[in-house]
Amino acid sequence: MISTNAYVLLSAILFTIGVVGVLVRRNVIVMFMSVELMLNSANLALIAFSRARAESDGQIITFFVIAVAAAEVAVGLALLVSIFRAKKTTNIDDVNTLKG
Amino acid sequence: MAELIWLVPLLPLLGVVINTLLGLNDLRLSRANAHHDHGHDHGHGHGDAHHGHGDNPTAKRSGLIASVMVGLGFVLTVATLIELLGMPAKTTLGENNRWFDVTYWNWMAFGDLEVPFGFLIDQLSVTMMLLVTGVGTLIHLYAVGYMSHDERPTRFFVYLNLFIVAMLMLVMGNNFVMLFLGWEGVGLCSFLLIGFWFEQRDPPWASVKAFVTNRVGDFGLLMAMFAIWALARKPDGTFLHSLVFREVLEQGTVFSLQQYSTFFMGTQYTAAGAIAFMLLLGVTGKSAQIPLFVWLPDAMAGPTPVSALIHAATMVTAGVYLMIRTHPIFELSPAVQSSVTFIGVATALVAASIALGQYDIKKVLAFSTVSQLGFMVAAVGMGAYVAAMFHLLTHGIFKALLFLGSGSVIHGFGNEQDMRKMGGLRKKMPVTFWTYIVGTMGLIGFPLVSGFWSKDEIIGHAFDHDHRTVGMLLILGAVLTSFYMGRQISMVFFGEQRDQHIHAHESSRWMTIPLAILAVLTLASGLINIVVLHPLTTWLEPIVEEEAAKFHLNIAAIVTILGLASFAAGFYLYNWAAKHKRIKPNQRDLLHHWGGDFYAILEEKWGFDALYNAVLVKPYKALASFFGKFFDVKIIDGIVNGTAELVGLSGRGLRTFQSGYVRSYALMFVIGVVIVLGFFALR
Repeated sequence: MISTNAYVLLSAILFTIGVVGVLVRRNVIVMFMSVELMLNSANLALIAFSRARAESDGQIITFFVIAVAAAEVAVGLALLVSIFRAKKTTNIDDVNTLKG
Repeated sequence: MAELIWLVPLLPLLGVVINTLLGLNDLRLSRANAHHDHGHDHGHGHGDAHHGHGDNPTAKRSGLIASVMVGLGFVLTVATLIELLGMPAKTTLGENNRWFDVTYWNWMAFGDLEVPFGFLIDQLSVTMMLLVTGVGTLIHLYAVGYMSHDERPTRFFVYLNLFIVAMLMLVMGNNFVMLFLGWEGVGLCSFLLIGFWFEQRDPPWASVKAFVTNRVGDFGLLMAMFAIWALARKPDGTFLHSLVFREVLEQGTVFSLQQYSTFFMGTQYTAAGAIAFMLLLGVTGKSAQIPLFVWLPDAMAGPTPVSALIHAATMVTAGVYLMIRTHPIFELSPAVQSSVTFIGVATALVAASIALGQYDIKKVLAFSTVSQLGFMVAAVGMGAYVAAMFHLLTHGIFKALLFLGSGSVIHGFGNEQDMRKMGGLRKKMPVTFWTYIVGTMGLIGFPLVSGFWSKDEIIGHAFDHDHRTVGMLLILGAVLTSFYMGRQISMVFFGEQRDQHIHAHESSRWMTIPLAILAVLTLASGLINIVVLHPLTTWLEPIVEEEAAKFHLNIAAIVTILGLASFAAGFYLYNWAAKHKRIKPNQRDLLHHWGGDFYAILEEKWGFDALYNAVLVKPYKALASFFGKFFDVKIIDGIVNGTAELVGLSGRGLRTFQSGYVRSYALMFVIGVVIVLGFFALR
């Protein structure tokens, strides 16, 4: 049986990849994918702890996270489409007019 | 009458309310008319009395309401007088019996102090009430004529009635706080009435000057009240519970003020002396004595009925009333009493001499008033309370007559006040002339006319009680008085009219009838305290405990002969000058030709105004402009604007973080999360 530590370690690695992806990539869609990666790494950690403690709470929360993430994807993609229509670009650094 | 005494001040107050409402109604109507006219016919509204120079019908209406209210007050006061006369003069224990003290409600209460709203009606207050309501009624009637061309007569009568209310509060109040209410009330009305013609250049400044100068004196009165409250104890050793006159001025209570004393430079100063001195400061403000007399001559910028009522007959005598009312305190401090005498004599002489150097008909009378008030204050200082009261009454009548006469001259002479332009008015204004002569007889002490008796009583008292120097100086004051009156009569009524452009005419009956009544009263007012019978002395004796003054034929003869000679000198000198064309408008007086710089000093009022300007007004204005132009602009505005600038600056600095790049926000977010997590992990 694979130890919980391995799952958590994998989860941390995935999360870090996601964070770095958000910070360094300029393509909106890639940033979006990175955010999804962070969400799912959290899901992985929740499931791993749920199994380790033999309780179902973590799995229930995971379902919630998946449902919310689905909604988030819908809104996020809608935003992306409208940004692309307005700016003809997927480069996030070109979308910088809201500033002080 | 005791039950109805509250009506005396309430009736004028009712007049204030009625006239205020009527005035507001007039204003509403005239606005509606103006609007109406504007809509239909341009330029039609000029027939309206509020804009034209014809008779203003509201003057008669408001004036009659106001006069009737004061007149009814006078009738009630006479009834009160009769009732007091019907009571036995003294109780079986030999104490004053002719008084009643009515308290209507508790006005204020804080801590141990209770201030009742009540009236003390005794011989002194009834005497003052008779003067205020009696002369007040005549002056109200006169004002109906005087203000007939004015734009705002209703407002004028509201103020005038309000003044009567305040003055009655002052003399009727049964405690110091009520007196102070009236004291401030008359000051306020004086301010409003001096500045009544606020469109003109001088009146607003004169009213501010009067108000501020009076405030200096009021400070003294306030301090005296505080000190009495803090220090006085009843004979049984307990503190006072109110500032009611009958408690405070009781012999034992006043004596308790003696027990606080301090030695300074080898002299003993008692609390009684300090309180008397502070009261004296209040008196110098309200009664226009040196050093605070400077406001009264300027107060002549107000309408003439105001000068007669407030600045000659009633308000300015409030100080004399205060000193007579509180005389037990003054009697404990001979040092302060002699300063009272000194101030009185100095004022009498200085003001009389300044009157020689004035060209304005009302300014002469103003300085004459200051000088006569000096006589009264000197009399109080010497303990001649009855003589002071006697002179207060006769002066109230004849000076009101003189002021109203001068108002009649000004009114009939095209609002011109410069005596150098007048002359020969006796033919054109016969009634004014003859009544003015009677008033002058009263002022200079023509034999058997009012001033002869009252002034002589003061001078006689000075010689009787070992104040010879005071007596001599007061005689000198009387001689100066006669001279400037001779000068004035000659310049105004005799010779030829020097400014021919002005068409002089006699005033209406509204004005001449009050003049005639006052002239008769002037002739008769010597009877108030006539020799042998001494009715006023007998009347006031229970309050002031003073013996009847002796009449000295030799002193009276000397004063009269000197006075008449001086009057004749002034009169014939200026008649001669007029005949030889030595009096011309805008040219300096004949006496300046002979007296030179000394006369210039008189013209400049001994430099009091210049001194106060240099020492007080200018530094104050400099301070004000420092605060106004530097402190407010730089420091206060600096703090406010600086705060705003600081906020702006920090905002501009923080704006650099709000770059619009989503990735930099995300980086900051990550850093924040790392810091927070790190804090909890490594704690």
